[in-house]
Amino acid sequence: MVQEAPKDTKLIVLSSRLVERLRALALRRGVSISGFASEALEQALRAGDMGVSIQEAVDLYQLMQIQKGAGALQVSRESLDQLIGKLYESSGEELRGIWYDAGRWYGEYLRVKLKGDDVLGFLEKALLLSWNLDEVEVKEDVGRVRLRCASFMMSLEKTELLVSYVSGVMFSLGYAEVGGEHLRGMALLRYGKVGNR
Amino acid sequence: MLAAREQIANRVAELAKRRGTTVFQTVNDILEQAVRVEEMGLSLEEVVDKRDALEKARKLGFAFTIERLLYEVVDLADHRAKDDVSEIWLDAGRWYGKYFASRSKDGIREFREAMELLSFGTYEFELRENRDGVISIACVGERFTSAYSGLFSVFIEGVLEAFGYRTVDREVSKSIIRLRFEKPR
Repeated sequence: MVQEAPKDTKLIVLSSRLVERLRALALRRGVSISGFASEALEQALRAGDMGVSIQEAVDLYQLMQIQKGAGALQVSRESLDQLIGKLYESSGEELRGIWYDAGRWYGEYLRVKLKGDDVLGFLEKALLLSWNLDEVEVKEDVGRVRLRCASFMMSLEKTELLVSYVSGVMFSLGYAEVGGEHLRGMALLRYGKVGNR
Repeated sequence: MLAAREQIANRVAELAKRRGTTVFQTVNDILEQAVRVEEMGLSLEEVVDKRDALEKARKLGFAFTIERLLYEVVDLADHRAKDDVSEIWLDAGRWYGKYFASRSKDGIREFREAMELLSFGTYEFELRENRDGVISIACVGERFTSAYSGLFSVFIEGVLEAFGYRTVDREVSKSIIRLRFEKPR
């Protein structure tokens, strides 16, 4: 509900419960309720222009903070892919080992950082973002995990590295590979919980 | 009642219409989330800025990778195919240089902003343009390996080459890159 008000402003109705929380927050920050609310609306509109809600922006922010803590950095995809392409034929096994170890490290990091707080749900989002995938699905069912990754652009070499990386992560989270298959741009993997891990 | 600037109120009304909900519901949803964000100790502006930065990086063809993994691969490449890999990163630098140069008259500034954005706090990047047309770049990454410093410096040289600069001074070692460029007279 928007009502007309003087001097280029409009009045918007708020729930009384929200007003109380806004008042407390505005007081803490030393700003007016209107000032705080206007800023929040502007930021929400900015996010809306990017095609995301505040909730999605917050989720992404938290994910990026954790990635940053894990030592993530931005690199040109093309340069990295070409570098992998150059090395893969002669050093594929070594590269898969490097990716597996990196996955193991990252899995340990997630396990310690998130302390079991929906680690697999986080992994799903992190893989989607970090590997620039089109789809990722991680489903857990009584100690079994099914993982599906898809990218329309990913090379076979990069897909194999993804499989090694994910297996490293899953090992650190206490799962061993029990089956799966992959082809260029797609990996369908299955893991089972390992006894005491 | 909340007094909001007319322009914001109108845009919120448009957003509500797009979502197929009421203005009351939309505003209350947004403010509920904003309060939650602030209560988590985060700044809503910073949150939205980060989302924006990520989108810009994605459009530039950049993606996250684990730092130590990148350094290991670069070190391996340095042993196995140094010249080939240097050429790849030089070409990538040239490509980005052309890209920034073609985007605006102040492509150097855009490049500097992109590098600051992409550093993601992992390294410090500084680019200075002197009045006499000399460009100085300093990049310090605590965990950079020698091989990665070398490769990253080649990438930067490729960018500046595309802007018509040539390297006149070069100091590259583990963790540190210092480069100076001039335009040929």
